[in-house]
Amino acid sequence: MMRIIAGAVLAFALGCTPSADDLQRKQPPPVNANAAILSDFVKRVDAYVTLHKHVEASLPDLKNQTTPEAIDKHQRALEQLIRDARRDAKPGDLFTPAMQRLVRDLLRPIFSGKDGLQIKNEILDNEYKGQVKLVVNGRYPDEVPVSTVPPQVLAQLPKLPEELEYRFIQNNLILFDPHAHVIADYIARAF
Amino acid sequence: MRTRPLHPAAVLSSIAVLAIVVCCAGASEPARGVAVSAAAPAGQPAAQVPLPNKAGTLHFAVIGDNGNGDREQYEIGQQMANWYGRFEFPLVVMMGDNIYGSDRPQDFVRKFEAPYKFLLDKGVKFYASLGNHDSREQRFYKLFNMDGKLYYTFKAPKEDVRFFALETTYMDQDQLKWVEDELKKANEKWKIVFFHHPLYSSAGTHGSQLKLRAVLEPLFSQYNVSLVLNGHDHTYERIKPQGGIQYFVEGSSGQLRRGDLRKGSPLTAFGNDTTRTFMLMEIDGDNLTFNAIDMAGAVIDSGTITRRK
Repeated sequence: MMRIIAGAVLAFALGCTPSADDLQRKQPPPVNANAAILSDFVKRVDAYVTLHKHVEASLPDLKNQTTPEAIDKHQRALEQLIRDARRDAKPGDLFTPAMQRLVRDLLRPIFSGKDGLQIKNEILDNEYKGQVKLVVNGRYPDEVPVSTVPPQVLAQLPKLPEELEYRFIQNNLILFDPHAHVIADYIARAF
Repeated sequence: MRTRPLHPAAVLSSIAVLAIVVCCAGASEPARGVAVSAAAPAGQPAAQVPLPNKAGTLHFAVIGDNGNGDREQYEIGQQMANWYGRFEFPLVVMMGDNIYGSDRPQDFVRKFEAPYKFLLDKGVKFYASLGNHDSREQRFYKLFNMDGKLYYTFKAPKEDVRFFALETTYMDQDQLKWVEDELKKANEKWKIVFFHHPLYSSAGTHGSQLKLRAVLEPLFSQYNVSLVLNGHDHTYERIKPQGGIQYFVEGSSGQLRRGDLRKGSPLTAFGNDTTRTFMLMEIDGDNLTFNAIDMAGAVIDSGTITRRK
């Protein structure tokens, strides 16, 4: 966990290196505050993953080489268990307001940099034009293809365990549970 | 660089390619990589290089962006079956977008098992990579042979060939490290990498994925990858060799975006955005012969590649 936090703090610090003039005008970046926010986020992610693993353990193991019926049954059962276990979930449970601000800060240099437009285009991809209503603890909409997440964006964000992924739906950053097809949380207008 | 045509027709096409290389020297870098003896430029009839179809060589097929369940996917499946009758191939590599939209159990039948029933019944093995329309859980589907992995590698049953399937919608540090480790330790003569998002593409809808290229291309170059196969753009495109590596976009085995290829793109060695296609390939020692085939069963592009050394 410390490695994850340290990496994210370093990325944040590198992305926000102030000029000499800035240093004269401003206080140093609030690294300790950011570390606390990241630590809190990691704890929340860990709690989600613990819950995910707990409910998944109640299901029969999904074999590595199996049938569509078994895959579908497992995925929908897991989706239901997760949604039941988090029936009171609400926006901000994982991406707290402080974490939302920090993520936007982490991503800003990426999207406002010289390659920002190119990165946005690779994420947006022009593939889905419809309206999407995001629902925390709801099923990821089947008709929406999962976005590409450029490696340069992933490098800025805290690493996630395999039970969760960062994805984008339009310009909203989703915390996506790919096993259960559930939106665990999201940040609206992340860029 | 060494070119070894396998058919007299290839001599003529070699001359054509030489002319292209001379005219477009700045757009491609064939010098230290694959040598390509291939067909005519975009928009012109291709001089066909037949598949040698020799005993003991590795035969395989390539499809991409195929899983929509539409009539055209079935027609491509039928042409693959027709070609199988005279050019048996034990494996098919899939460039992703294997099951569009809903992926309930019946969709696996309608969008995969039925169109390729003939081949599946013959024991042909399909090896999938995942596209942006694919559920991550497809990796558990036994007929995609992913063994529960989002990215994986396997050795071909014949010739000295290793395939690497990547998952490029989510190229995190773990996967990048895996790619490097696996490419580094692979000692096969042919290293073939396939995945969904093209590092090079002249299509207007998506085009080249530059951020992905920035992290993958140096690894391909360093570890002697000869061939990269992609989809995502619903076109067929043979890219002029880049940094010594041959790239293909095969994203029209079910889907098609007519008119999507940018005319006059300096990347294009040959392109097609008017019909669905699939590819057949044969590796014989250091040479790979490819045919791109349309819905009518006609070869629209062909040529020979010599691996990087």
